[in-house]
Order: sequence, then C-alpha cells, then structure tokens
Amino acid sequence: MKILAFDTSNKPLTVAVVEDGKVLAHYESTEKKTHSITILPDIKKALEKANLTVNDIDLIAVAKGPGSYTGVRIAVTVAKVLADTLSKKLVGVSSLELLAANGDKAHILVPLMDARNDNAFAGVYQNSRDKFVSIIGDHHTSMEKLFDALKEYNEDQLEFINATPRLQELIQNQFPNAKIITSDNSLPDAAKLAQLAETKKPVTDIDDFVPTYLRLTQAEHDWYAKGNKDDGNVSYVEEV
Amino acid sequence: MEKDTLILSFESSCDETSVAVIKNGKEILSNIIATQIKSHQRFGGVVPEVASRHHVEEVTKCINLALDEAKVGYEDLNAVAVTYGPGLVGSLLIGIMAAKTVAFAHDLPLIKVNHLAGHIYSANFVTELQYPFMALLVSGGHTELVLVTAPGEFHTLGDTRDDAVGEAYDKIGRVLGINYPAGKKVDQMAAIGKDTFDFPRAMVQEDNLDFSFSGLKSAFINTVHHADQIHEELNKDDLAASFQGAVLDILSNKTFRALKEHPVKQLIVGGGVSANQGLRKRLADEIAKRHLDMELVFPPLRLCGDNAAMIGAMAQIQYDKNDFADLDLNADPSLDFDME
Repeated sequence: MKILAFDTSNKPLTVAVVEDGKVLAHYESTEKKTHSITILPDIKKALEKANLTVNDIDLIAVAKGPGSYTGVRIAVTVAKVLADTLSKKLVGVSSLELLAANGDKAHILVPLMDARNDNAFAGVYQNSRDKFVSIIGDHHTSMEKLFDALKEYNEDQLEFINATPRLQELIQNQFPNAKIITSDNSLPDAAKLAQLAETKKPVTDIDDFVPTYLRLTQAEHDWYAKGNKDDGNVSYVEEV
Repeated sequence: MEKDTLILSFESSCDETSVAVIKNGKEILSNIIATQIKSHQRFGGVVPEVASRHHVEEVTKCINLALDEAKVGYEDLNAVAVTYGPGLVGSLLIGIMAAKTVAFAHDLPLIKVNHLAGHIYSANFVTELQYPFMALLVSGGHTELVLVTAPGEFHTLGDTRDDAVGEAYDKIGRVLGINYPAGKKVDQMAAIGKDTFDFPRAMVQEDNLDFSFSGLKSAFINTVHHADQIHEELNKDDLAASFQGAVLDILSNKTFRALKEHPVKQLIVGGGVSANQGLRKRLADEIAKRHLDMELVFPPLRLCGDNAAMIGAMAQIQYDKNDFADLDLNADPSLDFDME
C-alpha cells in the first residue's frame, strides 16, 4: 500500500511517501516558512522523489489536530480535497498521537502542544502491541489539572513530549524525575504518521472530515456562556 | 470554431464558500454558494475563526455540487481559479488550498484572481463589456471607483478613506437594532421614510474621488444616542432614509465626477451594496437627468454578493493571457489593484 502522509499542525512541516513500510521520500522543514506556501510543492517533490504520481497513492494520511488552528486547517483541507477529488482513502491521525510516536514505547507518553498561559493540548498514551492506546483522550487543559491526573502514575514512567521551555519548567517542578523531550527534539515525522494511519479505519464521509480543534472559538464560547442554545432546526451554513 | 474553455473557480474570501463552473467566462454552468450568515448572526458580525472553520466543512460539498450541476467531470476542465485576496486570511486560505490541490491532482493550470476584479466582471454575465468602462465597487469591505481600460486593466480612481459603505450600513443597522447584514432592511426602511435629519455628506466638496463614511456613521450614532438620553423617540424609517440619502449623495457625487473626467459608455456597479434598490434607482435617475448615453449595469441579485461565478469570469481573461500561478500561491489579505 502506498501512503502519502503530511502534517502542518505546528511549526514544523513534514511530508512522507511510504510503500509497505518502506519510506520512499521524506521531507521535514523546521524553518519558519508558511505552510500554505510550501505544502503542495513539498508534496509534489516527495512524490517525484518516490517516483510516483499522486494517482499511484492508495491512502492519504493527515494529522488532524489539535494544534495551530490555521496550521491544522491547511493540511486537513489539502488532505480532504485530495482524497475527494481522486477518490482515495483518507485517514486522520491525532497530532498528539503522532508526537507520542516519538517517545519510548515502555513509558506513559504525554504529548503536548503549548496552548499559552500554562495551558496545553495534551493526551496520555501507552504503547501496547505496537499500537498506541489512548489512556486519557486528547483535551485542552491547564498544566495544573494535567499534573493532577498524572499523579497516579510512577514518575519514572512518565515521558512528556514536545515541551516548550515554559512547559518544561512546569514539568520539572512537578515531576523532577520524569523524562522530557523538548519541542526542539520532538519533530512530528510523517513516516510515523503513515505507519499510524495503517492501523486506523479510513474516514467514511470525507465531506464531514474536519480538524479536531478541541476548543470552541472564543465567539462561540462567549455566546454559549450567555445561555444561548443551538436551535436544532437551524443550519448555520446553507446553500443559497 | 474555437474550443470552449471550462474553469472551475473558488471563492472563500469572507463568509461564503462558493464553487462554480464557468464556460468561456460568459456562461454559468453552476455557481454553488454556501452562506454562513446565520452562523455569524449569532455574534452580530463575521467572526474570522468561525468563518474559516465553516469553509473547511463546506469545501468538498461545494466542489461536488458544482461539478454535478454543471454535468462535467475533472477531465472536462481547462483550469482552476481562486480568489487570493483581498479578504480574511484564514478564509482565503481554504479556497486557495482547495484550488491548488485540485489543480495539482488533475494537472490543471491555476489562476489567481483578485476578488475586486471578480466583482467588476460579474457584469460579464449581463452585457458585452465595452472598454474603457467605469466600475463602482460597493460592498462590506470596499468602496472604490475603478476605470477599466482593457480586459483586466484596472486603474483605481477613488477609494474609501475609512469605513466601506456596506460596513457603515451594518454599523448603523446595529444602532437601529437590525442584525448583520443590515443593508437590505435599511434599504427597505429608507424607501418608506423621509430624509429629515440632514446628515453630513463627507468630502463631496473636495476635489478628489475618495469616499468617507465614518463621519456620517458617527453623526447617525450621535443623533440616536442623544435622543435616547433625552428619551425622545425618533422615527427609524426617517433615520434610515436620512442615512441612505447621504450615502447615495456621496456615491452619486463621486461617481459622476469620475465619469465627467473619464467619459465612458458603461457604468458597472458591483459588490453586495449593488443590490440596494435606492442605489439602483438613484444612479439610473442621475443618468437620465444628465442625458448621458451610457449603459448602467447591475449584476443580478445572486451575483451581487460574493460568488465564484464572478471569479471564473475574471479568470477567463487571465487564462487567455496565459497568466497562471504556481503551487506556492499564498493569500494576500490586503491585495488591491495597484499592487499587481
């Protein structure tokens, strides 16, 4: 099976073409370039290097979030349109699970995305028979609440992945013996994304495939906070 | 006989996701428009992050509907076109990524289209354009007078110094208790009311072709607030008529000043505010009063707001000039004619 995998959910951009577990092409960019500019040229380059055309691809794998809202939307839009327009299979993988794949499989893995103000998008994963099992689902949390939830685990078993300097500082204060992989040393890897995608079911309705934001927009949050409720009969978007 | 050209075009610059199939820049085979108005009405105006999220939800549905309705497949297409600015960056990006992906997947040329040029070329579906012509662009984001000297050759003569005209409608609409988009309702109220408040007509005395609506907006809001403070009830229809009276004076004054400097055979009006009935009547009356031998062109109501059909009309001109974009195309949120 030939897989085209890519992730733009954070600052790095990664693209890979993988055939039956063999990496045919692999691009990673940590430069602060704009993903909207580079993603399609990078996909094109990766396919050329793999000596394949996009029509040869059997499955498209994309990191579906959480992460930077705009970043996740870029990869998800390319993935869903590509899968739809060429009638290919599509698999979305959690951006946090993809980061967990950078950890030691014997550890309790805590992938993080810094969400500012000592908050993060976080999940807790454990590897079992070469599959990542989510113990605590991906969610938006304060670091304090996350630490509370992790207290039941042996500190030596914990491995935090993709910690920014600020998150690293907080983790070290709380769990001095936990392993930490910093954001500089934890780049998402599209080859691993392809591997993870093989273990998952393809999306059944491509039209309905959207990023996993894990947070409402501020405007929606405020609107619900005022006691407003959705009217089940109203579609917010309508064809006119 | 020349071969037909079919362009799949995308528009997502604000709160409408639209995909169209256009034949030879003149014929609409399909023009799917998914509008988010009901969503943003919850917040009293367009929220960019909400808009971007909706675009991702809608984009593949719109593509497939557009192809189905046009009864064409990807193999029938000659090019893919997309709005790349001006507009909301997060919104623009969804249409751009989708268009680039389709172009890449099917090895089709990509055409990047200026949203404002699209609004002007909505007229291509109504009449045979004769160059040079004058375009008055009036929408929620823009108020411009543009002289179009040849296909795709734009010269901005006047621009707004502050609020766009449609933006002013929405802001005074809020004061009158009308939800966004307020233009249609204000237009209806203005037709009933009388211009009794005599709001300022900004810059009509000045010898340039620029617009300003913030002074008018402030005068309106101050009038209403002052009345509220002294518990005086103002007639809302008269307020609407007075506001619209000032808007129409400003638009008409500058437009006919521009036409005096640049006499042309056609005046094209485009953008969301071109649906305004008061504006349609006023410009027609002024042309009659001045005995001008000039065709006044308004798009049909469906093509006044944002739509991908107009992007396909403009894209055809660029297609004929081999003016193609690359896969590294990015959004340009503050694009204007002078930058191209």
